[in-house]
Amino acid sequence: MAAINKSQRIRALVVMGMLTFGFLAVFYRLADIMLIDHDWYLHKARGQQVRKEINPVKRGTIYDRRGRELAINLETESIFCNPADISSAGDVARALAAATKADEKTIYARLVTNKRFSWIERKMDTMQARQIRDLKLKGVGLIPEMKRIYPKGMLASHVVGFVNLDNKGVEGVEGGYDRYLSSKEESKLVTRDAKGNHLSTGTNREIRGNNVTLTIDEGLQYILEKNLDAAMIKWKASAATAIMMDPYTGEILALANRPTFNPTDLSNVDMNEVRNRAITDVFEPGSTFKVVVGIAALEEKTVKSGTRIDCSAGFVEVGGKRIKDDHRHGVLSFHEVIQKSSNVGTIKTALMLGKDKVYEYIKKFGFGDKTGIDLQGEISGLLRHSDKWSGMSIGSIAIGQEIGVTPLQIVRAYAVVANGGYLVTPHVVKEIRDPDGALIMKAETKAERIISEATVATFREILKTVTEEGGTAVKAAVEGNSVAGKTGTAQIYDPKTKRYSKTRYIASFVGFVPADNPRLAMVVVIKEPKGSIYGGLVAGPLFRDIANQALSYLTVPMDKTNDKGMVVLADKEEKH
Amino acid sequence: MTQGADKSIVILVILLVLIGLTAVYSSTAVVPPGLQKGDAALDPMSQFVYLKKQGFTMLLGILALFVAYKIPLKFLRKLAIPLLLISLIGLLLVFTPMGITAGGARRWLRLWPSSFQPSELVKLSMVLFLAWFASTAFFNREKFFLFLIPIAVMAVFQLIFMLQPDFGAAMSLAILTLTLLFLAGARIRYLFYIALGALPVLVYLLMEPYRLKRIVTFLDPWKDPQGAGFQLTQSFIAFGSGGLQGVGLGESKQKLAFLPEVHTDFIFSLIGEELGFIGAAVVVTLFLMLFFRGFMIARKTEDPFAYYLATGISLMIAIQAIVNFAVVTGLAPTKGLPLPFISYGGSSLVVSLIAVGLLLNVSRYRTAKPTRGLMHIGGTAEDRGAEPSLASKTSQYALGRGYGQYRNRAASLRRSGRKQ
Repeated sequence: MAAINKSQRIRALVVMGMLTFGFLAVFYRLADIMLIDHDWYLHKARGQQVRKEINPVKRGTIYDRRGRELAINLETESIFCNPADISSAGDVARALAAATKADEKTIYARLVTNKRFSWIERKMDTMQARQIRDLKLKGVGLIPEMKRIYPKGMLASHVVGFVNLDNKGVEGVEGGYDRYLSSKEESKLVTRDAKGNHLSTGTNREIRGNNVTLTIDEGLQYILEKNLDAAMIKWKASAATAIMMDPYTGEILALANRPTFNPTDLSNVDMNEVRNRAITDVFEPGSTFKVVVGIAALEEKTVKSGTRIDCSAGFVEVGGKRIKDDHRHGVLSFHEVIQKSSNVGTIKTALMLGKDKVYEYIKKFGFGDKTGIDLQGEISGLLRHSDKWSGMSIGSIAIGQEIGVTPLQIVRAYAVVANGGYLVTPHVVKEIRDPDGALIMKAETKAERIISEATVATFREILKTVTEEGGTAVKAAVEGNSVAGKTGTAQIYDPKTKRYSKTRYIASFVGFVPADNPRLAMVVVIKEPKGSIYGGLVAGPLFRDIANQALSYLTVPMDKTNDKGMVVLADKEEKH
Repeated sequence: MTQGADKSIVILVILLVLIGLTAVYSSTAVVPPGLQKGDAALDPMSQFVYLKKQGFTMLLGILALFVAYKIPLKFLRKLAIPLLLISLIGLLLVFTPMGITAGGARRWLRLWPSSFQPSELVKLSMVLFLAWFASTAFFNREKFFLFLIPIAVMAVFQLIFMLQPDFGAAMSLAILTLTLLFLAGARIRYLFYIALGALPVLVYLLMEPYRLKRIVTFLDPWKDPQGAGFQLTQSFIAFGSGGLQGVGLGESKQKLAFLPEVHTDFIFSLIGEELGFIGAAVVVTLFLMLFFRGFMIARKTEDPFAYYLATGISLMIAIQAIVNFAVVTGLAPTKGLPLPFISYGGSSLVVSLIAVGLLLNVSRYRTAKPTRGLMHIGGTAEDRGAEPSLASKTSQYALGRGYGQYRNRAASLRRSGRKQ
C-alpha cells in the first residue's frame, strides 16, 4: 500500500510543480541580476565601495635666513555633512550653532543642500572640534585639515604671502613657490564601508612639501617694520615701502609695505593691503635718479670729477622748457653738481651725453625692465624708448621725472654703486630643501657688471666728499656709521588735473651703509606724508633709524666715531 | 522493516550547513574600521565570535537531529498536540518579561544562556500537528467543519504572530498550512472559501503604512535607494557585482555595513557576491534537491502520518528557502525570514536540523523496493479496496497497533463516505 490515494498523488505533483516553478523563478532572477546586469551593478558597487581619496599635503615650512619659522601648519578639523543623512536640519543647525558660535541660518543653509557633501565650518581648533564630535550628530562628520599659520603675524606678510582655504598658495612666496611648498596631491582608491570608514588603506603616507628658506632676516624685518609703522603714524602717510637688500648678492633682507595685512586672518582684507608696493607700484624717483646720468657721464668719460659745468644761470632750457635749480650755484665741478644735486648741472651733463646714451644707461641700470625678483606681480616701471622722447624729456628724465620706477628698481640701482658696478638680481628665496633636508634649489647670485670698478669708485668718492661737507638731511645721519644715500621728493601726478599735485608727494631715501664698506642697500618710500615736504626730513630719519638699528643688529663695526656725518646728496629740488 | 537513513538527505544537509558556516564566518569576520589586520588593538579571536556561536548551535542541532531521528514515529504522533501547546505557550511567553524585543518586534524568548525564537518551532509543530490531524481516523476531507480545525489553529498562531508583529511568519505559516491541507486532499472549494474569507483581513493588514511602504519599495526599490529601498538595492548590488564567478570567498565589500542583516536574512546575497552565480545556483539547487528528495521519501512511505510529515518538512524548508531567495532578489516584499541551515541564528538552525532528523526518521520506513511512483495514477491496491499488503502490515506493526486501528477505521470511513 501507499500512504495516499490517486488524487493526492496528483496534488503532490501540483505542489512539486509549483515549488519547482518558484525555484526556477529564483534561477531566472539570479541570472538576470548577476549575469545580464552584471556590469551595471559592478559599476554601482565600485561607486559606493571605492572612493578616490586625496592625500592631504602638509605644506613646507617657510623659514627666515636664520631658520626662524615664518609660515607653519596647524592641525585643525573641519566639519562637513551629508545632507541626505540629516533627519532634522533645524535641530542639527541649532546644536552646531551653539557649539561653533556661528550663525544658525548660515549653517542651516549648508545642511539642506542637494549635494552629497557640504562643508559647514572649516579649520576649527581642536577644542571646538571635540565639542562637535561629542554631539554625535548623525550625518555630520569631521575631517582633519591643515591650517596655514603665520606665527609672526603681519611680519613680512608681503614676502611670505598667504594661501587660500584649500591651502593653495596665492600671494608672495606662498604663491610663487607653491609648487615647491606644496606637492602634487596623491590620490588613491580606497575601499570603504557604508559608514565612510576606510578599510585597510595600507600606508597612510603624509605628503609633505619642501621647506623654503628666505633671504629675509626676521630681525632686520622687524626693525624695518617697526620703524615704518612709527613713520606712518608720525607723518600720517597713506602708504609706505621699505626694502633692505644685500647689495652684493641681491638677497632681500627685509621688505615691507604699509598698509599691510595679517595673512592668517584674511576675513576682511582688501587688495590695497595685499599689494606688494615694492614691486607693483611706480613712483617718480626725483633726485635719486641722478645717479644714472652721473655714472653714465663718468663711465663714458664725458666728464671727469673736476669738469667745470656752468650752472650760474640757475636754470636750463630743454625743449622750450625751463628747469630751475633751487638756488643759483654758479660754476660747479661735476663733483659738486652731484654733491649739491644741481638740476641744471645734471641736465647739462645729460645733454652732453645725448638721449641715446642716457636711455642706454637707464636700461643698463635695469629701469624699464623687471628686476626678476622671485615674487609675483612685479611690473617693469614706466619708461619710454628714447625714440619717443619729446624735446624736454631728456631734461625731465635726467632728474627723475617723466619716469616711473619701483622701489625695488631704485634700491638695485644704488646697490650697483655699493657693490662696485654689478647689477644684481634681487631674490627672496635662499634655498629650498625637501622634508628630509636634501637641497633642492639654492639661489645663485646673479650679478652682471654694468659699470667699471673705477667709475663706481669715483662716484663713491664724490658721495664721500658730500659726507664731509654735511647735508641738508642731517637727520638721516647714522650714529657712528657713514651713510651714502640720496633723498628724493617727487610730486604725485594727478591724472584728474593732469598736473603735478601741489600737496601730495612721495618722499624717498635710497642709499647704502656703511658708505665705505657697504653692507646694506636700502630704500624707504613714504607716500603723502603730512607736515614736511622734503624727503630729507621725512624719509631721511626713517632711513637713519632703520640703518642704525640694522647695523647694530648685524654688529657691524662703526666706521665713524667722531662724526654724525653721512653722505647725502642735497635733496632740495624744484619742480616745474 | 526499517532501513538506514537516506544518504542523499544527509549529504545535502551537510553541504548546506558547511556553506552556511563559511558564509557566516565571511560575513562576520570583518575587521573593525580603523584597525588593520595584525593590529595589537584587534583581538585576533573576535573574528570567530559568530562562527563559534553558530558552530556550537550546530552541534546542539546535530544532537537534536539524532534524537529526532531515533524517536519512534508512534511516539511522535503522540507528541503532536503537546508540541503544539508548547509552541503556543512559548509564543505567548514572548509577551511576558521573558520576551526580548528587537527591531520593534517581540520575537525572541530569553532562554539561558541564549535566546530562542518560538516562531521557528511553531512551523515544525504545525507540520507535526497537520500530519497527525490528516492521518487521524476522524479526518474527513469532505467535511468543511473538520477542515476548519487546522485553519483555526493556524489562525490562532497567526493572530499571535501579528501581535509581535511578524507578518512574514504569519504569511509563511499560511502558505505551509494551506499547501499541506491541499496535499491532504482538502477540497479545493474549501481552500477557496478560506482564501475568500482571508482576503479582507489581508487587505486590512496591508493597509498598514509600513507594510504598504514595503510593498511599494519592493516594486521600485531604486526610487529611494538611500532610504526605504536601501537594503534591497544593496542586495542587488551584492548579487550583481558577484557576476558569474563572484568576487571571491571572503572578498565581499557589501558586508562592510552596506548590506544590513548580511549574516542573517541577507546571507544569500553575500554568497551571490562572493561565489557568484555559480555559488548561488549551487545553493538553490541543493535546496531544490532536498525538496525533491523529501517528496521522494514521502512517496515511499506507507502510512499517511509519515507521508504528511515528510512532505510537510520538505515543504517547510523549501518554502522558507524560496521566500528568502525571493525577498533578497526582489521577487517578494521584504520579510525577515532566515535561510534554513545557512543564516546565522540558532533557532532556525536547530529547528531545521530537528526537521531533517524527522525526515531521516521517516526515510527509515520507506519501502524496500521502489513502489509505483507518484506518477502512477491508478492508485494502489488498497485504494481500490484490497486488503492491506504485507508491507503495509509491517508498517502498521512498526507504528504500533493503535495506529493500525485508526488507519483501518479511516480507510473504511473513507470508503463508506464515498459510497454515500
